[in-house]
Amino acid sequence: MKVVVCVKQIPDPADPGALDPETRTLKRDVKLILDESDSYGVEMGLQLVDNAGGGEVTLVSMAPNNEQSGLRTALAMGAASATLISDTELIGSDALTTAKVLAAAIKDQEPDLVIAGSESSDGYTGTVPEMIAAVLDLPSVTAAKSIEVGGDAIQVQRQTDAGYDVVDCPLPAVISVTAGVVEPRYPSFKGIMAAKSKPLDEKSSADLGFAADAVGWAGSGQEIVDVAEAPQREAGEVIEDDGEAHLKIVEFLENLKVI
Amino acid sequence: MDLRLSDEQQMIVETVRRYVAEEIVPLEADLDPDAGALAPDDFDRLVDKTKEMGFYGLDIPEEFGGPGLDTTTRALMAIEMSQHRAGLYNPCYGTFGGAGLAQLYEATDEQKEKYLYPTLRGEKKGCFALTEPSGGSDPARAIQTKGHEDGDQWVLNGSKLYISGADKADFALVFARTSDDPGRNGVTAFLVDTDTSGFNVRRVVHTLRSTHYATEISFDEMRVSKDQILGELNRGFAIANDRLSRQRIPYAAGCLGAAIKAQEMAIEWAKSRETFGSVLAEKQAVQWMIVDNEIDIRHARYCILEAAQKADRGERFRTEAAMAKLVASEASGRVVDRAMQIHGGLGMTKDLPLERWYRELRIRRVGEGPSEVQRLIMAREILGGSFK
Ligand SMILES: Cc1cc2nc3c(=O)[nH]c(=O)nc-3n(C[C@@H](O)[C@H](O)[C@H](O)COP(=O)(O)OP(=O)(O)OC[C@H]3O[C@@H](n4cnc5c(N)ncnc54)[C@H](O)[C@@H]3O)c2cc1C
Ligand SMILES: Cc1cc2nc3c(=O)[nH]c(=O)nc-3n(C[C@H](O)[C@H](O)[C@H](O)COP(=O)(O)OP(=O)(O)OC[C@H]3O[C@@H](n4cnc5c(N)ncnc54)[C@H](O)[C@@H]3O)c2cc1C
Repeated sequence: MKVVVCVKQIPDPADPGALDPETRTLKRDVKLILDESDSYGVEMGLQLVDNAGGGEVTLVSMAPNNEQSGLRTALAMGAASATLISDTELIGSDALTTAKVLAAAIKDQEPDLVIAGSESSDGYTGTVPEMIAAVLDLPSVTAAKSIEVGGDAIQVQRQTDAGYDVVDCPLPAVISVTAGVVEPRYPSFKGIMAAKSKPLDEKSSADLGFAADAVGWAGSGQEIVDVAEAPQREAGEVIEDDGEAHLKIVEFLENLKVI
Repeated sequence: MDLRLSDEQQMIVETVRRYVAEEIVPLEADLDPDAGALAPDDFDRLVDKTKEMGFYGLDIPEEFGGPGLDTTTRALMAIEMSQHRAGLYNPCYGTFGGAGLAQLYEATDEQKEKYLYPTLRGEKKGCFALTEPSGGSDPARAIQTKGHEDGDQWVLNGSKLYISGADKADFALVFARTSDDPGRNGVTAFLVDTDTSGFNVRRVVHTLRSTHYATEISFDEMRVSKDQILGELNRGFAIANDRLSRQRIPYAAGCLGAAIKAQEMAIEWAKSRETFGSVLAEKQAVQWMIVDNEIDIRHARYCILEAAQKADRGERFRTEAAMAKLVASEASGRVVDRAMQIHGGLGMTKDLPLERWYRELRIRRVGEGPSEVQRLIMAREILGGSFK
């Protein structure tokens, strides 16, 4: 079974990032790490390959500055190889352009299954996986909490507000995986020592057949015109207990539809 | 000196950091603040994990099945592994496995079968019985436990003080005087089963340390067969010197780990706690404490890494290891003390790990060679010749 996992490399959430005053996007000149949201996809991929008794997990990532750290972490977990797409033309790419570029890199590999995170931890538009599926003309299931392979189809448990749906889907397909559904393994000592020597193929957007004006700011339909501070939260409502406070609290919660 | 980590070291550090945050700290939250062990099923589950990671038995030499880490990487791991409440004397609650006493690696094959391998499998525990009521800084001269030969046996009489875990040990490495030489050339190391007749644990000695209490033991006409001698007769101090010096480096790194965490906590608290109309972090007195912490932390870190890198390059590192041990244990004590001051009353409570680190770091200035003895080691190296 051949599984491609999309992994985004993001600035360490523990280090508060800064916005570039000109482009109003997050500065990415720091060391980037594997987005935790994608460690679940890597784990899911590795488990599927283990259960299938053969095959491999390969990675694709599009990131600035030829960043490899996050990919090396996923390679240390057990992925076999990685493709990194990085060049300056890509600066300013929006989610759709990202999906097009990733799809082009994935297509070459002819995978049985493509796995991505439901949403990234920094950009979190939560749109890239479905757009990859659309570009590749593949079926897609979102918010998977488990994947069962049977022949050339899969059965996916898809998380919903009420519980989960069971969805049958033919392969190849693009699946997005919800954070927290599996326990990402720790990279092993051997895996860490081997990660550097695993194949990591670096490609530019041109290598994948994109003209310079098809990607980056030029190719994107987006411009960030303004950034505003999130408004301060308003003061909450204080309910004085005159013996009836519980009724008011219940009513308040019912209005919010949380009970 | 290059202080940058290799990509592999960086990944190992990140892996251990994640392990401490995700596996150890949450379990510790439910333990007594002075606890020294995890629940057995948690322990077993985590040992399975570290085995799967290939990190179990960190300090076991590669030829005995250990992962074969260099000293620098081992020290970097030690810095991470101690960053939790019990981390100083029980880093990660022992889930990375122990290596047993360094001296056992130089035992005979038979002795290894009997003591080393069962220790590595977690089936036997040993204790180290060197210090006596007559003193531990200069054991070569202080040792009064006496052995005399009787046929193919040695008969030992005497007592030992502050021996950690003797009551729970299956065997002890006992140092006794076996010749008229009053110094280091008259002391022999014996492997003694603790159920040997004449081996008595007299009492538990409570110290500032929460767990792993010390004990006082005595030997009364204790008969030990000659093949229980470790190494050569009257050469008990010549065993495993290199391994023992090397161990000082992760020992120092463990102290540093607690200091780093304490500083992190102090910074967070200083930025959020308000007094007299502004946060603590805006008061110069507090800023200076934070800066002094940083200076102490870096000083310790540089000393530890220099010692480790020299050891890894195969160069002489006795002075560096002694300096790392001294600087890290003393600097970390100061850092934790300042962090407690910044936390005020909260710093004194068992709600935070600071008070436990404070107590246990105090012991670190005496255990494994007190600061004065580390200075003595360095003085000999620096002054050399006739000042030895
Ligand atoms: C030069 C350059 C500069 C960039 N600058 C920024 C920036 O300032 N801000 C920003 O958020 N992003 C930046 N990116 C990455 C950008 O292309 C985003 O990936 C894209 O906008 C999708 O963002 P998202 O986080 O909303 O994806 P989501 O749809 O929320 O992500 C869902 C899942 O899709 C997959 N995925 C998403 N993006 C990638 C990726 N790049 N590589 C591999 N898998 C991916 C992951 O599996 C992820 O979990 C930059 C990329 C390059 C090459
Ligand atoms: C909790 C705990 C656990 C321990 N576990 C063990 C164990 O498992 N096995 C074991 O064998 N020992 C153990 N010890 C003993 C420890 O190693 C000794 O306490 C230590 O070596 C010091 O010996 P001492 O207490 O006899 O002090 P002494 O040797 O009497 O020294 C007293 C003080 O004088 C200082 N001093 C000594 N020489 C000089 C000098 N030349 N110049 C200036 N100052 C000097 C010393 O630094 C010390 O501070 C443990 C101790 C403690 C507290």
